[in-house]
Amino acid sequence: MMSDSLPGQTFDRDLLRKRVACALANPEYPDFLHKRAAQDLTGRLELILRDFDTALVIADKPDDFAMRMRATGRLGHILLAHTLVARTAGNQPQIVCEEERLPVAEHSLDCIVSMLNLQQVNDLPGALVQISRALRPDGLFLAALLGGGTLSELRHAWLTAESQRTSGATPRVAPFADLRDMGALLQRAGFALPVVDADRITVTYRDALALMRELKQMGWSNPLNQRSRSPITRQTVATVCAAYEATFANQDGRIPATFEIIYLTGWAPHESQQKPLRPGSAKTRLADALSTREHSLKNS
Amino acid sequence: MASPPTKQGKRTTAAQVDPKLLEILVCPLTKQTLTYDAERQELISPAARLAYPIREGIPIMLPEEARKLTEDSS
Repeated sequence: MMSDSLPGQTFDRDLLRKRVACALANPEYPDFLHKRAAQDLTGRLELILRDFDTALVIADKPDDFAMRMRATGRLGHILLAHTLVARTAGNQPQIVCEEERLPVAEHSLDCIVSMLNLQQVNDLPGALVQISRALRPDGLFLAALLGGGTLSELRHAWLTAESQRTSGATPRVAPFADLRDMGALLQRAGFALPVVDADRITVTYRDALALMRELKQMGWSNPLNQRSRSPITRQTVATVCAAYEATFANQDGRIPATFEIIYLTGWAPHESQQKPLRPGSAKTRLADALSTREHSLKNS
Repeated sequence: MASPPTKQGKRTTAAQVDPKLLEILVCPLTKQTLTYDAERQELISPAARLAYPIREGIPIMLPEEARKLTEDSS
């Protein structure tokens, strides 16, 4: 399948924007991942004993996220940003923007929070650089994004099914950032004191079809530029369901699906932050601290 | 009476763009300052030759949604 996309454009952002707009209009949008990430991010902000004057909160769901962030009492002026579609929720100032092309001036914000959007950007390192530049010195960046373990079972089931039914496999599940790479990415983007950790959530479904239906309701059907454009047959779906069940089914016959939420914390560098001392700048001997005698290696 | 703002109150203020927001917004492509056209409800980026629309008080900072400026209509 050829696509007219530019190289490096993994995601079809236009398609994604349309699908998420549709999905969010549904009052029964399945927002369990967003609620969980919202609770976690709010908790993380509460633990930081500092106030941030101007904050940009980038989130498409849940609707009360900005209010919950405000309730922590840590944020002064909150600007709410939606990445994909214009929606009115409450009367706080809002914009529509994308992390990859952040429309804010350098050093203009004290805090940026990004909620479950960064897994869908085409240029994650570039987005992180722009976020770090937008922060004032000692500004805070908090983010939740889906990570590498996400939907690993579904990826496996599709690979098995497609290699059985056709001559090859097409990309069906988006690539997700690896937890181990995120720390280095944060550092490369210029963040100080980076912290990365993950939360794994296992959700069970009746079958793979029910899982795929729910993903569609979230607006997360295959958004890849290199996706197969041929329609999926009923037999293919049956093969995927069978492959999923054969490898992963629980004892009760339901199938598990893994979601991995990666949390990122990083600070814009500031001289007040702790740093390691330069090698050779020690003022106390290690031997004194340990109350022992120091031996030279050659004489021992 | 200290009552919370009514829905109608929200709606009338929604057309106004928050001044703090105007202060920090720049063009997402060129990162240069924007000029606010209150009459047309647009944020204009002279360098990118784009006018970003403001819908119901919400600036849409997406180049795909922006109006392209021609040579004489800037």
